[in-house]
Amino acid sequence: MNVTSKTVQDITVIEAEGSIDSKTAGDFERGAMGPIQGQNAVILDISKVDFLSSAGLRVLLMIYRQIKSRNGKVVLLGASEEIQDIMANTGFLAFFILVDTLDEGIAALKS
Amino acid sequence: MENQTFPATLDSLDDLRDLVRDKALRANLDKKKTYKLMLALDEIATNIILYGYEQAGKEGVLDVITELTGDHLKIVVEDDAEPFDPLQKDLPGETDFSKPLEERPIGGMGIFLTVNGVDSFQYEYVNNRNRNIFIMNIQGTDA
Repeated sequence: MNVTSKTVQDITVIEAEGSIDSKTAGDFERGAMGPIQGQNAVILDISKVDFLSSAGLRVLLMIYRQIKSRNGKVVLLGASEEIQDIMANTGFLAFFILVDTLDEGIAALKS
Repeated sequence: MENQTFPATLDSLDDLRDLVRDKALRANLDKKKTYKLMLALDEIATNIILYGYEQAGKEGVLDVITELTGDHLKIVVEDDAEPFDPLQKDLPGETDFSKPLEERPIGGMGIFLTVNGVDSFQYEYVNNRNRNIFIMNIQGTDA
């Protein structure tokens, strides 16, 4: 899997691509935790993530805790229906703002 | 019945997902059931690889036996690690899932997703091997 980050209108955007399982969750963690240091608004673009296991959920939890400790918000962009299902089943979904486009994500964080 | 052997390393997770995707396609499982079956296999295989083998300092294999009948797809994963019955582990439940994420225990989530994701999950210990059994019922052709 690949993780890249960029800044759009002062908001950190993390883009992940590929499968996040216990082999690759460490890459996801390293790729995301660095750029979100000190941030209180982050957009996680997972529209190109085709698979997310509990190892990936664990990283989402770490990101959420990091941002939440600064009273910030985490936006999930483009989560597939299947990933939304497993997040719903484990009570994760309600803690993230779900959007389909980057513009929606930025609007949600600027409001 | 078909049998495939994978080295018990995390590198095999990709190949295991490909195998499950292929079998699910042949069984005509819909997208969601396919994903849940891939997830279930991934979670259990991860536990076997990391805790059954690596943490115990053992090397070994995962044997994956698939069986497709008219009404179900059955996948059996066999390993030679110490006996471990995932169903004996305390699983997180409603009370845990309703806690804020800050206070959430993280263990057991993989097994929870496994048990809840497939139509039937069974565990046996036979001939000194762990057998984790995943069954998905096959829906009608309208799916």
